[in-house]
Amino acid sequence: MEAHLRLSAAAAEFPVISFGTGSLVRLPGPTITQPNVYSFNTTSYNQMWEELASKDERLYRSNGILNMLDRNRNLKWGPERFQDWVPGLPRVDHVSKGDKGALGTEAGVVDVIITCEERCWDAVVDDLMNKGNNLNRPVHVFNVDIKDNHEEALLGGKAILDLANALNEAAVEQRAVHGSGGWENGTGAARQSFDERVPDILANWQEKNPNLPALWTLAWL
Amino acid sequence: MAQPDVVNQLAQLNSARNLVLGDAALYPQIVNGILPIVGANTRLELRRWGADFMAETFSSPVLATAQKEQLAPRVLQAIQEILLLPESDTAVLVSLIQTATSLYPLVFRHIVNHPEDSNSWETMNVIKQDILRRMDSFLCPVKICCIKFLQRVVQVQTPGLISDPRRPEQNETSLAIVPRTHSILAIPNLEAEASGLLDRLLGVFQEEVSDPLLVNATLNCLSPLIRTRQSISNKIINAVLDFYPSKHVRAPITPTTRVSVKSMERTARALLINLMKRNQNHPLFGRMQMYIERLMNSRLDVVDDASRKRGLPSEPTDGLDSAKRARLDAETPPLLRIPPMAPGPASIDKLFTLTQDIGLSSFDVKQLPPDLVVKIAVPLLAQVNQSLLTQAVDAVRVRYQTITRDQNLKRSQQHTAAVADDDDDYEPDYDPMDVADNTSEQASAVAAEVADLQPDLVSLGPFVLPQPPPLTEDEAAEVGRSAVSRVFNMINAAETDPSSAKGKTQQQLGFARLAGSTFDRDAWAVLLSRLATRAPAGLEGGVKVDSKRPTISDSIRQMLYRYVLEDFRGRLNIAITWLSEEWYNDRVQMKAAATQRDQSDEDEDQEPTVPLHYDEWVVKLFHGFTTYLDGRDIKVLVRFLSEIPEVTLSVLQMVAGLAKDPERVNLCVQALMYLIMFRPPAREMCLNTLEDVYQTYEESRPAAGKILAKWRPQNQPAEVNGTTDSTPAAPPAAPQEAPQEAPQEAPQEAQATAAQ
Repeated sequence: MEAHLRLSAAAAEFPVISFGTGSLVRLPGPTITQPNVYSFNTTSYNQMWEELASKDERLYRSNGILNMLDRNRNLKWGPERFQDWVPGLPRVDHVSKGDKGALGTEAGVVDVIITCEERCWDAVVDDLMNKGNNLNRPVHVFNVDIKDNHEEALLGGKAILDLANALNEAAVEQRAVHGSGGWENGTGAARQSFDERVPDILANWQEKNPNLPALWTLAWL
Repeated sequence: MAQPDVVNQLAQLNSARNLVLGDAALYPQIVNGILPIVGANTRLELRRWGADFMAETFSSPVLATAQKEQLAPRVLQAIQEILLLPESDTAVLVSLIQTATSLYPLVFRHIVNHPEDSNSWETMNVIKQDILRRMDSFLCPVKICCIKFLQRVVQVQTPGLISDPRRPEQNETSLAIVPRTHSILAIPNLEAEASGLLDRLLGVFQEEVSDPLLVNATLNCLSPLIRTRQSISNKIINAVLDFYPSKHVRAPITPTTRVSVKSMERTARALLINLMKRNQNHPLFGRMQMYIERLMNSRLDVVDDASRKRGLPSEPTDGLDSAKRARLDAETPPLLRIPPMAPGPASIDKLFTLTQDIGLSSFDVKQLPPDLVVKIAVPLLAQVNQSLLTQAVDAVRVRYQTITRDQNLKRSQQHTAAVADDDDDYEPDYDPMDVADNTSEQASAVAAEVADLQPDLVSLGPFVLPQPPPLTEDEAAEVGRSAVSRVFNMINAAETDPSSAKGKTQQQLGFARLAGSTFDRDAWAVLLSRLATRAPAGLEGGVKVDSKRPTISDSIRQMLYRYVLEDFRGRLNIAITWLSEEWYNDRVQMKAAATQRDQSDEDEDQEPTVPLHYDEWVVKLFHGFTTYLDGRDIKVLVRFLSEIPEVTLSVLQMVAGLAKDPERVNLCVQALMYLIMFRPPAREMCLNTLEDVYQTYEESRPAAGKILAKWRPQNQPAEVNGTTDSTPAAPPAAPQEAPQEAPQEAPQEAQATAAQ
């Protein structure tokens, strides 16, 4: 969600959809054995915030959960589950709900998927295979391994934004080079298509972020 | 200029797009309206927008297939025109090929159902051929989309599963739904083309230098093919299994190479795991697993960036970390609260009582029926918490150790006190006279001391087993019978033992054999027959009053009788052993009675009588199995008659009775002949019987006549008037008493046993 915030608030105003891959939304509870559990797609961040605030405001404020939920409820209505996502299903309603980054995702398709944990990347690649690739549309799936805590999320969110900016730059260049009909005018890397440059972009990014091991594949929506 | 015009047009188009995204019903209208604006020969921006929109439209899950099919012909036309420009813009090409990929199954299905619409199929074919021809010269992004196009064509032109033949509209689009007689679609051609395209698709795995984009794009679209197209799935899997991403990696290893190899490895792994998860029983499961393991092991060190991974953090950066990762089922072991032991003298009951619930600790479990206890206890035991059990056992152990320590302390204090007392009385002189006294005193003192110090822990009080009630005679007999039946079980058990070798050695022993020394069947049989005959001799005979009551020996005899009859052919030797024992016992008894009579000759009234068993049981047994003898059992009959210790008249009468049955006449005559020839003491008796038979049964005459002619020529009746009507010659007077045979006639076995 930190990445969602960064990407949607960036200068490029990336269209963003955010998902979870687990079976339920799990937030820490008073003890290790009593997490707060919510279902995807039907619970809003606001409901969670209000419930936890009424349960034990001091606890959830001190462990940062309320702050996090507050950030999230300002970003989008509620958590969605990746496995329940139907690519290509219009998401016009998310624009009206006021989800940040919803503009540009109305058609329900994306060009890039970024996960924050290796098992999420596995789950996403696996789920895309199960979905049957009916859109015939390529999608780059990246993983940026981020430890799941508030501090690392901040660092990771920034790194993800860097990656997105690098990718976007390449895509814009491709469109511009070919768009002006000046394919012959370009040179070097600029003559390469966006897709071809993805491994290089990720490799460069990895050099800069050695602490966030990355992974990538080209899958189909 | 045209620029604002284009911007305006794009804005209009975008609002139209927003309309259809909001309401899919508007698609036909909008698509038909837009096609002329974005078709061939329009500006690049418009062509791009149009191609994107077409791709979006025909892949949209909200637009119904029927409507897509309806829109397809016009759009196909437009695509063909744009492609043949020829189009060179990557973005337009990418979107057009995506559209073509989505359209291919739609058009195919449309043609299956509408063979007359050959135009659409031709257009589709032109597009297909154009894409396939130019595929290799396309730029990378377009090539990637061509891979997907190939995959879709292969999927459509390979037979799939017919899920329900009655509802063709629900079946997946594949070669399987094409009728054999279709006028346009020739199944063999399509299938051959698909096979060639599949090879082209899989060719990417054999390239000298793997392009990660093409490899990943291929790997990621293979899963549906493998899952839904049985006929080609093994070929695809084998192609993947032969592919090793790091095979052709050569120095210098750049970061890009690392990223590429790793991504190909992980994608191949993801594909195989996806397949293995879906089908655990896949025939290639083992190979896929090996491949995954090999991938993990063979990763080049240079490519592997494990060293660059962050090490494990020494501690969570905040408290949330572990909490968020908590598994719901991971439970901390609950702590058991152990109350201090109840005050007062210690008892085993108190020692083990860990609950503080008075109702629970005073509850008598014995009140519950055992089956209920079992029902409760077994599931409870099954889910005993290991840590709780350990805690409880430890608690009891600690309590016990505390108690014993206290008591040892107490005892040693008392002991030192006692020793101090004893000191005054201590006699160092040894006085033998006092020894006995002393020891008893000491013993009682020690006993008293022990009694004092006896921990309350085991104060259970004396327990005396109640005397069993005296057995009634019936009960005793019942117990006896059950003992006998157990011995019979032993016989049966011994019988099942295949111990032919043992039997041989035993036979060789002959006279030197001891009865019952080998624990085989015969030994048990001898034991039983002696139990029946000799053991109660002189005990049961005296009791005449209630002779109706079966004695233990009678019940053994009864069981032996039944046992022999169950399989008289196989158990004949047991019968012989038994009867020999009976006969021998009768002799011994009679002899004993005779001497007794001699001694107490004056008491005429109290003449001791001996109950004789042999006569009764030999008849019974013989009668028992004669019914089952058939014409071929001559060996069994002859053996029985020759080996029993004494042939009596009643036995012979029964032998004669065999002649009643025409089939057993020979049996009767031959048995008698054998006795006449080899049992001289019984010869006369047998000849008499044979004569009797000869007279009575006509069928016996030919055989019996010969024997009689040899042994009793003087009495030979005239054969001339040998009819059944004729009054038979009076049989010679049967002796009133069965002639006693000489004891020498007794079989060896009886003698051998008697010798012991």
